[in-house]
Amino acid sequence: MYVEKFSNLKKLILYAIVLTYLVFVLFPLVWLVQSSFKSMYQALKIPPDLIWIPTFEAYHKALGGGMLKAFMNSAIVSLSNVLLVLVLGISAGYALANLKTKASQNIGFWILSIRMAPAFGIIVPLYIILRTFRLVDTIFAVTVAHLTINLPLAIWLLKGYFEEIPSELAEAAIVDGATRTQVLLYVLVPVAAPMIVAVSALVFLLSWNEFLFAFILSSEAARTVPVLVASLAGTMRFDWPLMCALSSLALIPAFVLVVYLQRYIVRGLTFGAVK
Amino acid sequence: MLVLVCIVAFPTFFLFYASLHEWVLFKRGMPFIGFENFARVLTSSEFLQSLKVSVIYTFSTTSLTFILGLGLALILNKELKGRGIMRTLIALPLVIPPVVAGFAWKFALNREVGVIGAYMLPAVGFMRSLLADPSLALGSIIMADVWSKTSLMFLILLAGLQVVSPDLYEAARIDGASSWQLFSHVTFPLIKPAVIIALIIRFIDAFNVFDTIFVMTSGGPGTATQTFPLLGWKIGFLYFNLGEAAALAIIMLVMTIGVGIFLIRRIT
Repeated sequence: MYVEKFSNLKKLILYAIVLTYLVFVLFPLVWLVQSSFKSMYQALKIPPDLIWIPTFEAYHKALGGGMLKAFMNSAIVSLSNVLLVLVLGISAGYALANLKTKASQNIGFWILSIRMAPAFGIIVPLYIILRTFRLVDTIFAVTVAHLTINLPLAIWLLKGYFEEIPSELAEAAIVDGATRTQVLLYVLVPVAAPMIVAVSALVFLLSWNEFLFAFILSSEAARTVPVLVASLAGTMRFDWPLMCALSSLALIPAFVLVVYLQRYIVRGLTFGAVK
Repeated sequence: MLVLVCIVAFPTFFLFYASLHEWVLFKRGMPFIGFENFARVLTSSEFLQSLKVSVIYTFSTTSLTFILGLGLALILNKELKGRGIMRTLIALPLVIPPVVAGFAWKFALNREVGVIGAYMLPAVGFMRSLLADPSLALGSIIMADVWSKTSLMFLILLAGLQVVSPDLYEAARIDGASSWQLFSHVTFPLIKPAVIIALIIRFIDAFNVFDTIFVMTSGGPGTATQTFPLLGWKIGFLYFNLGEAAALAIIMLVMTIGVGIFLIRRIT
């Protein structure tokens, strides 16, 4: 193995570049989180206090009252997306991996076109349809809207994974008398478990972070956390600590997932182009 | 299969259908008007303004994230101590809700209470408000986008770099190649596929950014930061002119495909 040798000076410069960038990355986040532990008065103080007694006032406000509902909505939408994507995505991915028809070869193009289409080009027809059925501002509407993006992506990823599994595995089970459904449930799903976990995490994250669809399809009853944050950020009277507390809470899933599933998320976001 | 067809194909056809009709919510009737929606969108003054903003925005964020991402990927592909944690931290903005990223920047840049806008910049004698000044607002949203999307560039390019075998570097070094020659003749040609993918994904993504801009400036002040998605939102869901919004979406789609094909042809 060839390892490039650096002079100490060169090393120092490289570290300096990366660390400067990391300061740029972490700075707004640190600012956001520290402000969430301040009172209104402390948060507005310029220059800011570097040492203060943390208060949980903002978190009390964020978790009491109507705000909690947004978190519930977000959780319901994200989790039902994961569930539906798994049920529909696994079966469709399996079917497409086995059916050698034109449709299964062209699916890649479809996925690409979904990603290329301007999001508000998708939301215009969706909005019209959902409005006709009087479903605007329901959790159902937001869930369906998120599915239009998540489902094709999941099918694409799962299909690719199923194709990589050697077909002898399924054939052996069929020789032993298993039906196709049994093969899928007891042989292929356990083998594909890592990908299934990754897809679930990705879908959860995309759904949790999504703004435009949720924003247009919800007004009050079905609004998700990003919609709540955005609508508060648009008002004239700012309660900065409250907003910071809400934003910090919205960050939690992101932090958990980036630590554990970084690689898979990248694979998903680049639709399998990079392994 | 059928579900998929419904989900993908139906909205597409519906979009074309809507774009050919005069369709305004809360207004009775929706006559067929052919391509008039397209004509109206293309000739409005806001379209030209948005075109300008979108081009500047898309071009600068795509190139800036590319340069930064490539630089960071090259550095962190080397044997440096602590690179695991550094990689994770650089990847972090990718998974942060864009709305939260937009808000964090809006807060930090705020002229009255933000740590950068109200404390650091005035300390060095810069007194203008970043987000309320038309000429500075565009720069601010570009910076926020660079912040949140460099991660993706970085990760794709890093993945591309990791495929390159170290033996090749060794061979080139023995042949006496300089660092720049090493990069331009060995590394770059080998990571070209990753570069193309990264650029295309990033371009499409930048062209369609809505959330961060919406939270930070909502397209303002005036129309200084009104990119196409914000214009489309305004036409469709503020004026409820769904026909024109659909037409704009199709125009955007055509532009995206055009530039996508151009990028693929140009680089391959």
